[in-house]
Amino acid sequence: MTTNHTNHRTNSSGPPLIQCRRLTKTYKKGDNTITPLQELDLDVPTGDFLALMGPSGSGKTTLLNLIAGIDRPSGGNLIIGGTDISTLSRSKLADWRSVNVGYVFQLYNLVPVLTAYENVELPLLLHSMSAKDRHEKVQTAMQLVGIADRHDHYPRQLSGGQEQRVAIARAIVTDPTIIVGDEPTGDLDQESAQAIMDLMVQLCEDLGKTLIIVTHDAKSAAYAKRTLHLEKGRLIEAAVLAARRAPLVPQEA
Amino acid sequence: MIAPKFMPVVFKQLWRHRVRSVLTLSGVAIAMFLFIAVQTLQEGVRRSTQAAAGDTTLVVYRENRFCPAASRLPQFYVDRIEKIPGVVSAVPVKIVVNNCRASLDVVTFRGVPRENLGGPNGWASKWQLISGSVAEWEKRSDSALVGETLAARRGFQVGQSFDASGITVTVAGIIRSPEAQDQNVAYVHLDFLQQAAGKGGGLGSVTQFTVRVDDPAKMEAVAEAIDAEFRAEADPTMTSPEKAFVAQAGADIVEIVKFTQWLGWGCLAAVLALVANAIVLSVQDRIKEHAVLQTLGFRSSLIARLIVSEGMLIGVLGGAIGTGIALSVVHFGNFSLSQEGLSIGVSASWSVLVWGLIISAGVGIVAGLVPAWRAGRREIASCFRAV
Repeated sequence: MTTNHTNHRTNSSGPPLIQCRRLTKTYKKGDNTITPLQELDLDVPTGDFLALMGPSGSGKTTLLNLIAGIDRPSGGNLIIGGTDISTLSRSKLADWRSVNVGYVFQLYNLVPVLTAYENVELPLLLHSMSAKDRHEKVQTAMQLVGIADRHDHYPRQLSGGQEQRVAIARAIVTDPTIIVGDEPTGDLDQESAQAIMDLMVQLCEDLGKTLIIVTHDAKSAAYAKRTLHLEKGRLIEAAVLAARRAPLVPQEA
Repeated sequence: MIAPKFMPVVFKQLWRHRVRSVLTLSGVAIAMFLFIAVQTLQEGVRRSTQAAAGDTTLVVYRENRFCPAASRLPQFYVDRIEKIPGVVSAVPVKIVVNNCRASLDVVTFRGVPRENLGGPNGWASKWQLISGSVAEWEKRSDSALVGETLAARRGFQVGQSFDASGITVTVAGIIRSPEAQDQNVAYVHLDFLQQAAGKGGGLGSVTQFTVRVDDPAKMEAVAEAIDAEFRAEADPTMTSPEKAFVAQAGADIVEIVKFTQWLGWGCLAAVLALVANAIVLSVQDRIKEHAVLQTLGFRSSLIARLIVSEGMLIGVLGGAIGTGIALSVVHFGNFSLSQEGLSIGVSASWSVLVWGLIISAGVGIVAGLVPAWRAGRREIASCFRAV
């Protein structure tokens, strides 16, 4: 059984930071129409740490991309911080992203010809500020993620964990409201993954950010305040999920 | 186009594929070298053949003759020409060349009466003497005042003797003149050249008269009056403005140089194709990277401008190298195209340099437009799905 559009709203007093209403996404692939997300309703309050789980093709990355403003819904509304981002023009949406969203990719996606410092500085180039202010912000972000000593290193000179720290620094350097991560630990060994998740939790709590990650890894998901499961483009009730898992638990006499 | 703070990103993207960038730069430099070389030729032709509003010089030649060896006019015509209303002065000139055909290295002797070259109002008064002296030229009958271009090309020094077409002269001075014709000749005494040339006509025979009129507006009327004066003579004349005469006598060269403008356009097309190819390849390699930049908040238009800047930078750098080399070769090579004893100077000017850089930058921008437009309109999510 899957839920429809009434089940994942929070009961906080103020309006939630993120409001998804009947959010739908379809796209063409050859002659086929793919619907990775179907009429999904979701509220995410400010400061939440949400983990999205589900099998491949369940729509979790699509939902993440919609919330991050790098994809557009085919139907429904997506209101973030009071702005319906589904109505923004392409350039306005880019401006909105540069202020409101920090994105952490599974494969880091650092620009290989730029140093760690320059990679972190990239999003700040879009903002009107002096070179001195940029420098201070980059220094602060790199110190926060523990790679201040890797300024002049190129991505190829860094380990996977260090690259992901640079990517996190790049995501937080503009002080966005929302940080999203698409399998941020998916390419890391267990130790590095744990360190990255510790870092993300710490940043979320210290900086008051709203954090949403997509993960296949239950250990990573365990760091989140809430975990939501998707299947075939819909959210699955926790109770339904528990019921599915129940037969796997040995029954006591 | 883009803020300076983004330029390091553009530079580093070009540096990313060094070999490709260097090869593209080399191609652009070679093409721009050829383009600029063609432009200097075109400019030389323009300067030598396009009439200016203030032109007051006519050339009187033997009718239906264009080669100095074939144009023989009696020297005494000078008195009759000077009497024609509007004529300020007429100078008989004997011309001997070592090669009548089109060539890059022609030695042209111009024999001029002593009184017309020296003195306060003589031709030498409008020249800058780089070395030697006019007085020395006046003293010695076999001396020559040599144009700077000819002297540099042949390595002539003051006091040195040289031989061309069987005529031996000694360099009395080296001159610099704004006129291309003066830059590439050796001015000698008229009577000396008439005797030395032998078969060319001997004493009393000249190649042409150089006539100055008092008003540019009277050029045509004076030319007609001169030709009318000698129409019934055994040696009729054909008078035309100096630059028109150069254009007519050097018609072969002018036609060839005009044709080379197509080579110039071809060079620009080559630059366009080279830069466009490099940018297309570069953009294809970076589909995902551009999607990442857009994710960070880079607008599509900014991505496009970054890509166009790469094209412009390649164009400007390659153009600067090619233009610089071309202008150096032209400057130090001291080339001039000569035909029938007339010279078309191949010279470099600052305007050619500036235009070279502007054109190469413009071509670089145009080359980057299509890949930039395509990169800018890609949807971010589809880029991530595609890679």
